[in-house]
Amino acid sequence: MTEAQRPIKTVVIVGGGNAGWLTAGRIAAKHKTKQGGVKVILVESPSITPIGVGEGTWPTMRSTLIALGISETDFIRHCDATFKQGAKFARWVDGSRDDFYYHPLVLPQGFGKADMAAYWHQQRQQQPHGSFSNSLCYQEAICEQGLAPKTIRTAEFSAVANYAYHLDSGKFGQFLQQHCIENLGVTHILDDVIAIHSVANGHSATHGDIAAVETKNHGAIAGDLFVDCTGFSSLLLGKHYQVPFKACDDVLFIDTALAVQVPYDSPDAPIASHTISTAQEAGWIWDIGLQHRRGVGYVYASKYCTEEQARATLANYVGPAIDGLTVRKIPIVSGHRTRFWQNNCVAVGLSAGFLEPLEASALVLVELSAQMISEQLPAHRGLMDIVAKRFNQTFLYRWDKIIDFLKLHYLLSQRDEPFWRDNRDPATIPQSLQELLQLWRYRAPGDLDFTSNNEVFPAASYQYVLYGMGFQTDFSHADYLLDNQDFAAQQFAQNQKMIQQALGMLPTNRELITKIRDYGLSAV
Amino acid sequence: MAELIAINPKLHATLRIQPDKAELHGRGIQLLPVVPAEFASVATQSPIVLTKNGQTGQFVSVAMLGFAPGENLWFADERWQGAYLPLQLQRQPFFLGQSGDNGQGDYVLCLDPDSPAIMQQHSATTNTEQLFQADGSDSAYLQHIKGVLAELLQGEQQQQQLVQALLAANLIQPLSLEITFANQQSTRLNGLYTIDQQKLAALDPATLVQLHQAGWLAPIYTMIASAAQLYPLIARKNQQLSLAV
Repeated sequence: MTEAQRPIKTVVIVGGGNAGWLTAGRIAAKHKTKQGGVKVILVESPSITPIGVGEGTWPTMRSTLIALGISETDFIRHCDATFKQGAKFARWVDGSRDDFYYHPLVLPQGFGKADMAAYWHQQRQQQPHGSFSNSLCYQEAICEQGLAPKTIRTAEFSAVANYAYHLDSGKFGQFLQQHCIENLGVTHILDDVIAIHSVANGHSATHGDIAAVETKNHGAIAGDLFVDCTGFSSLLLGKHYQVPFKACDDVLFIDTALAVQVPYDSPDAPIASHTISTAQEAGWIWDIGLQHRRGVGYVYASKYCTEEQARATLANYVGPAIDGLTVRKIPIVSGHRTRFWQNNCVAVGLSAGFLEPLEASALVLVELSAQMISEQLPAHRGLMDIVAKRFNQTFLYRWDKIIDFLKLHYLLSQRDEPFWRDNRDPATIPQSLQELLQLWRYRAPGDLDFTSNNEVFPAASYQYVLYGMGFQTDFSHADYLLDNQDFAAQQFAQNQKMIQQALGMLPTNRELITKIRDYGLSAV
Repeated sequence: MAELIAINPKLHATLRIQPDKAELHGRGIQLLPVVPAEFASVATQSPIVLTKNGQTGQFVSVAMLGFAPGENLWFADERWQGAYLPLQLQRQPFFLGQSGDNGQGDYVLCLDPDSPAIMQQHSATTNTEQLFQADGSDSAYLQHIKGVLAELLQGEQQQQQLVQALLAANLIQPLSLEITFANQQSTRLNGLYTIDQQKLAALDPATLVQLHQAGWLAPIYTMIASAAQLYPLIARKNQQLSLAV
């Protein structure tokens, strides 16, 4: 058997944390590790605690949990998880007190059948107060009332309104670990990796394949594919393979986070069923409601604000409750590796890159990476370079699109602090985004603006942000978009009807979480 | 919702019940909880399906008596029209409450004070029953009621065990029904569940033996067979619609 024909039988994942366990779980579930399929070994240092980024997820997390064979009830009970139905952006447009808009998870009513943005624009001439998200999506009303996206009678993972989760990152890691070991047959080795053994006669000009990782107490652990989940240290891809890091701090200025965990006043305090993002002088504050506490944090650009100022801003937001709480300072280095898969090594999670948490992109990128690796795991080494090339193309595109989409939030703001003014400097806006913005001056974002069949942010997301932030599209040259008034009127009416139905049937987020803890959701 | 009034010989020495009127409690009930021990009797009249409790989301087995909330096609002319009266109606106007602040204490026999089966002072009906004999001991009627309630209590536990067994064997599937009545009106039934017959047929021998030994095969097949009662129920609805014209 030649080297190229060597089958991929053992996957070694270096690093625990959510990235490591999600990748281990996806591969083990797909490739029947427990039944004797591909062997999955996860090596985790006993001395490194995971950073635990990301308390916000996307609806993809539901399919991820299903693929891992996890019960939604168990997940909610063990991970302090709650329902998330999108994000509310407060004070992003002009900074005034009542300034807010939603980026919900349900598509606009009629999306894909007609260009509803044009009809909304037309309707707005008569009803200036009907926001885009509230006129065309019933989810904003649900969130404003603090309601859950489903009822106790809805089956696990099914929805009345599309949803994702907020979760306790540390508890989620523990939960995944137990599931992967007990139910999916992942081998867990607690040990430090002290060296990397390369094959001399490799495929790359600079380095050969990784043959094994040397551990302190368990010797060399050999494998056919190595997954780098070592966090910011990027032990395999960054340190070993020297794959360059591409910073994007010229586009996204935020470089520091101050995070704090705020307990609720009472055990039955309401839980917001959306992420609240409130713009500040030099960044924004996230506010995420879990079952037992809120996670709050100020992400800011240190060039525009001192740490002392930032701490005062955070304290002002949290209020007197912040006294005695521990505020963690976390540096944010925005950017990503220029390749993610090199030879027989692929990086997932922080080792691949990181962006500020504005659209909760950290965990979703882990999920998408783990999914692609597990579904496209090459049959033998000879095919791996092709898979690697395609993986790199796919994810470079995704990182670019996420960077564009994050930037979109900033450049549309009319706030006039230096941080916000500088964000509007064309020199800081990627060319790809500038071009799209020119097109959108005369028509709404559409699916054909994007080229991936599995786009991270669909055109609907761009519409929510653009029109939520007051972007003006000039539809005066596009009367042809307004040729089906009856259909449009039905959509607006249907949305109002859905709002009434939803408000009548949905419990509060807190009520549903309590019921799930008490009774559980059924699988059907 | 009835308040909890515990029965005692002193307080209720003169209370008179009209057992014939217990069935009035069935008025307007579309889905009536039934327990496995009475499935065979219920199945001679109604489809037996599963639905989820609105408060807890837990599955309960119910007799389907109508096609819309508030509709009971087995209740007409102030009478229950079936030969078999389900235990949930037989027990009226009594129920078992649980004592203690958190509702976890002993079972206490309680009465629904708003029940139409409680005889009013001015009523001249003769067919009445008292709860207690002169010496304060239970009347034969009260003994019967206690028997029904005990049967229901045990039945509800069995019902939960049956649901657990069905869930464990993955045998529950949503029932999606679109029914068109004689007047061409159609209705879609949501929130009802039934036995997945394909999965039942494909069960591995070990699970099948477990279900058999636990005594669940009979209720399972009774539920399946009871689905045929949908046709007489549609006929009842059509008859009602034709009378309404």
